[in-house]
Amino acid sequence: MGLQKIIKSRQGWTRREFLLSTFTAGVFALSGAFWLRRWSRRIKKAEVFVSRTTEYNADIASVIISGMQELGITAKEIKGKRILLKPNLVEPQANTVHINTHPLIVRGAAEAFLSLGADRVTVAEGPGHCHDTLRTLEESGMADILSEDRIPFVDLNCDDVYTVRNKGGYSPLKTLTFPVALAQADWIVSMPKLKTHHWAGVTLSMKNMFGVMPGRFYGWPKNVLHCAGINQCILDINTTLQSHFAIADGIIGMEGDGPIMGSPKPASILVMGRNFVAVDATCTRIMGLNPKKVPYLAAASNRLGPIQEKNILQFGETIDSVRTNFALIDKIPAHKGLRI
Amino acid sequence: MQNKPIVHHVEKIWERALPEGGFAAKPEGMYRPDSTAWAILALSAAGIRNDYLEPSRIRLKTSQLNDGRVCALPELPDTYWPTPLSILAWQGSAYQRDAQSRAVKFLINTTGLHWQRKVDSPSAHDTSIQGWSWIANTHSWIEPTALSLIALQRAGYGTHQRVNEAAHMLLDRQLSHGGWNYGNTVVFDQELRAMPENTGMALNALAGRVAEEKVTRSLDYLEFQINKLRTPLSLGWGLLGLGAWGKRPDHAEKSILESLELQKIYGDYDTSLLALLILSFSLKGGLADALT
Repeated sequence: MGLQKIIKSRQGWTRREFLLSTFTAGVFALSGAFWLRRWSRRIKKAEVFVSRTTEYNADIASVIISGMQELGITAKEIKGKRILLKPNLVEPQANTVHINTHPLIVRGAAEAFLSLGADRVTVAEGPGHCHDTLRTLEESGMADILSEDRIPFVDLNCDDVYTVRNKGGYSPLKTLTFPVALAQADWIVSMPKLKTHHWAGVTLSMKNMFGVMPGRFYGWPKNVLHCAGINQCILDINTTLQSHFAIADGIIGMEGDGPIMGSPKPASILVMGRNFVAVDATCTRIMGLNPKKVPYLAAASNRLGPIQEKNILQFGETIDSVRTNFALIDKIPAHKGLRI
Repeated sequence: MQNKPIVHHVEKIWERALPEGGFAAKPEGMYRPDSTAWAILALSAAGIRNDYLEPSRIRLKTSQLNDGRVCALPELPDTYWPTPLSILAWQGSAYQRDAQSRAVKFLINTTGLHWQRKVDSPSAHDTSIQGWSWIANTHSWIEPTALSLIALQRAGYGTHQRVNEAAHMLLDRQLSHGGWNYGNTVVFDQELRAMPENTGMALNALAGRVAEEKVTRSLDYLEFQINKLRTPLSLGWGLLGLGAWGKRPDHAEKSILESLELQKIYGDYDTSLLALLILSFSLKGGLADALT
């Protein structure tokens, strides 16, 4: 019997059906309230771990594992998971340490997740300017590390894709097209470099997710996102795509005319957390900048996560103990008024 | 074509041919219009008979929308950047003239977003000169403009006003230190870095159209870079770009074979990358020699 016929044949509710329906509705309402409260707590309060790490040759894996432990991430949570690490690989530029996420940070993260029982770790990136992703891998030194450690790499610019509704609605884009590699991962880990940015103010774990958007559908550069509004698209991507963890490389960051033409800025930190907004707000403060003045962070506040200092529980180093002012450039409009 | 590794990689492309025509980007992958166009170009340059390629040209035609564009995915019609590649792939076929004409018409009538540059603009290039964009409603950039110029010229539209303007756009985006990147020259008073793949594409597009002195600094940049290049996109376009100006280096074939070897590290290259290496091996005088 077709569903329409079943509905038409109904003459009303029996007492038993009524009680069963009421019970079911109650269970759904209670579990909904539980998840809503839990989600709401994560949006309003978050935890961030700051580690003072001065050299890339340090035992990065141990630093990351201790950070994850402080943040309450257990081996049970990681066991059997497929982890996708998304570093910030912008341009091929040999012998520089301030443009791309350092390969030894990626190696450390891979070791940390595998030692906690991850099923597999993949590194994935879709560089925004340079169509030749392999050259970016080679000249950044990432290719050697991936090859030595046998870590697979996915070029997100050229992967197969899936399209979903834009849940953010901040930009005019109705849908967002993502690489299938993201859907095949259980945990997506954003691994940005601490940088000032000439269009967005700062580029950290949220802006780093621009790199997941495939060039085949957004261009080289990803001009569809620029035309739709950079700040709005940062919010859209981070609202629509569920990501799980951020590890920000601030051992040597970039100040001034980032994300490419700026200068190296040693900050000697790694910053970690589950909530990207909270991680980015903390990084911004460490850079001597006010997260409330970064448009996308201000807009994300209490929608995607907290930016107020009182709502971010800091583990490890305090912000004041590691703060180092990143240089800004007067003529860049996105830098105006950012200094704390 | 006698070179054993190249023949092997021509066969590898053939293995990605789909039963219903067309090619995938990877072994056992799905149909992609851009992979199909690249495969047709490479196989043709490798001496594969035209009638063997016709089913793939027909498949490519089924991807064409009514207005002539060919998109990365039919359900996302803004992604029309495979259109110039399709024009090139149809070039060798008497049966696909109608499809090619419609694609040419689409390109002639399509442009990226352009506007008069403001005095206080952070970007230095002339934003009003028309070229082509990757995706609809975005600015024009080097790669789609260079490919469109090459395709239109190859299809007999070399003197069209749009083609002349595209050449003008490419020259405007040339970096003062030599070379091209994706298409920004100076932003906030800092000149950006050149990239070999974009430089090779632009040099291919401008060969035979402008005097050598206008691109000398870019030829110098690429001749210096080419010795260091080993990844397929940069190396392939770099060799085609230098070849188009009669400056193909002696080590070209050796470098191509070394680049193919890198698959031991990176896994199988995409069809477009394999095709580019085969084309750069076969076409000593640049991409203009394709399908002649």
